[in-house]
Amino acid sequence: MQIVVSGVGVVSALGVGVEAHLEAIRAGRSGISKEPSVLRTTHRLPVGELRLTNDALKEQLGLPADQTVSRTALLGALAVREALADAGLQPHGRVGLVSATSVGGMDLTEHFFAPFMADDRSGRLRAVKMHDCAASTEWIAAQCGITGYRTTISTACSSAANALMTGARLIRHGVVDCCVVGGTDALSAFTLNGFKSLMILDSEPCRPFDEGRAGLNLGEGAGYLVLQRAEEVENPYCTLAGYANRNDAHHQTASSEQGNGAFLAMQEALQVAGVEPDAVSYVNVHGTGTANNDRSEGVAMRRLFGDRVPPFSSTKGFTGHTLAAAGGVEAVFSALMMRHGMIFPNLHFTTPIAELGLTPVQQLCEGVDLRCVVSNSFGFGGNCSSVVFTK
Amino acid sequence: MRCFVQRVMTDREVTTDLKQLIPDAAMRRRMSRVVKMAVSTAVECVGGVEQIDGLDTILTATGWGCLADSERFLRNLISEQEQLLNPTPFIQSTFNTVGGQVALLRHNHCYNVTYVHRGHSFEDALLDALMRAADGQGAQMLVGAFDEMTPSQHRIMERMGLFRTWKDGEGAVFALLTACQTEHSVAEVAGIDFPSEGLDAAAVHARYATDERTKVIWNDWSIAGCYPTASAQAFRKAVELIEQGTPEVIVYNAYQEASPAVIRVRWVG
Repeated sequence: MQIVVSGVGVVSALGVGVEAHLEAIRAGRSGISKEPSVLRTTHRLPVGELRLTNDALKEQLGLPADQTVSRTALLGALAVREALADAGLQPHGRVGLVSATSVGGMDLTEHFFAPFMADDRSGRLRAVKMHDCAASTEWIAAQCGITGYRTTISTACSSAANALMTGARLIRHGVVDCCVVGGTDALSAFTLNGFKSLMILDSEPCRPFDEGRAGLNLGEGAGYLVLQRAEEVENPYCTLAGYANRNDAHHQTASSEQGNGAFLAMQEALQVAGVEPDAVSYVNVHGTGTANNDRSEGVAMRRLFGDRVPPFSSTKGFTGHTLAAAGGVEAVFSALMMRHGMIFPNLHFTTPIAELGLTPVQQLCEGVDLRCVVSNSFGFGGNCSSVVFTK
Repeated sequence: MRCFVQRVMTDREVTTDLKQLIPDAAMRRRMSRVVKMAVSTAVECVGGVEQIDGLDTILTATGWGCLADSERFLRNLISEQEQLLNPTPFIQSTFNTVGGQVALLRHNHCYNVTYVHRGHSFEDALLDALMRAADGQGAQMLVGAFDEMTPSQHRIMERMGLFRTWKDGEGAVFALLTACQTEHSVAEVAGIDFPSEGLDAAAVHARYATDERTKVIWNDWSIAGCYPTASAQAFRKAVELIEQGTPEVIVYNAYQEASPAVIRVRWVG
């Protein structure tokens, strides 16, 4: 059974919707700002923040400003709504939703918690009702009229890639006829401080795959795709031909020297797709900009592709690292690149990592025929997932 | 789709010393209570730490995740005004910590996913296992669910009025599942369903039972209290009933406002 992408929707620091993204990327305009303006924090660090308040997001969804909704759910609903409209799909009982998140309703919980810490009778309960991850999925489904099978996946920064994989398998096994898949995560003080405490945030715009890279910029966003059986779709973006989930099993947060998880995930995903490494046209790398990830991922690419590493780029210089949403946002980017014959550039690169000698695509390419694209997403807990799109 | 249950156990049934189940002292030290509880149940369920090597699928399910670590990091963040925070609780707070730690114990590189869909996270993980088995990728699968109570979670849910009828709860349940029946198989997972509306006992029987002696058990939180993945406790009970001679058990789960989930468990014959 061939499964294709029939619609896409995306929200990130680059704006709301596919058009805003293509326009920003064509103009070479990054969404990374010097410091947060919507997020309440004392840190003055660059972030990939969507410069719209929750009230503005609610307005776009036609909701009253006084409704309590997590930012994660708001971002997700905007992207799912766009993906469904793009696919021309009216949801029905056999349409499923597999949504990924790692932050869930933490953006609301962290505001609840300060008064609650002072007095356990304080804090508005409405603010914690959306704490759990499923709350965002259920709310998005209700907003968009999705009544079929719904579930939520949370495997840290690889979450949305796993949502793509689960969605495709649900269609294959006849659990649903069609599935909306992807992920959403809002910026939160919790995650910003978490990555800060790990000392892996760059105080400058991130430089994925550069010798001088000094960490990641946290981002926020949502990216969703509509998956359908090939025979039901007239003009799909691409085929979701392969996927794999493997565990690095090296360390709770760090990636192995040999890039084992990344290597196994890419290798198996290509096997599932029935594609030889030589036939890959482009790799959308995880490329967070941390010393550890980029080195490990680069080693894995060298192991798999040898001296014929295909053109590759990290798009995190545009969006920041959108955590659980990254696999969704970047799958949408992959689908767009295939449809429009483009390769999005890797920003802020000057010098290859000495031991790898890998140079990413630095200028926007147009008029390219991308036949096979690999998109990587790796996360804490050793979770490494790769998806393969073909034309 | 179907798979076979080799063993299923809860955290209350773990008898082996924690040092044997989680030999790495540094890992043990960093683990929060719920992670220790879940990982130790998982390791005992597979038959000891070496047996992790044979797994080709690790699926975990949790409604709340690692609450105590999330809360610890959040409290520090607020009280220390975002300065000089210890990263350990942040690192350990991710929902996939338990699955990751099980893999890490023996450097197992297999498929590893965590479902976090509130009241039917466990059924979602089981559905994934059934798909793995059907695809020939589930020769040895570990599937488990865990949630923990914390004082803050208890207080907040108490304020929401959720414990007027049922007491708060927590627990870990892990099952070792196989695609093929073996001499050690104690039950068969014969199907999972997510009906679009709530059903009463008669309707559940009419729709799912294939034998007149079929028992329908409700996820009524009487076993380990009320918590999101408590239906895994009911699944444990269903397997026990099969072992005692019931040919078929239907586990019906309707956690709070969530849509229902149904697991059909059968005698292997």
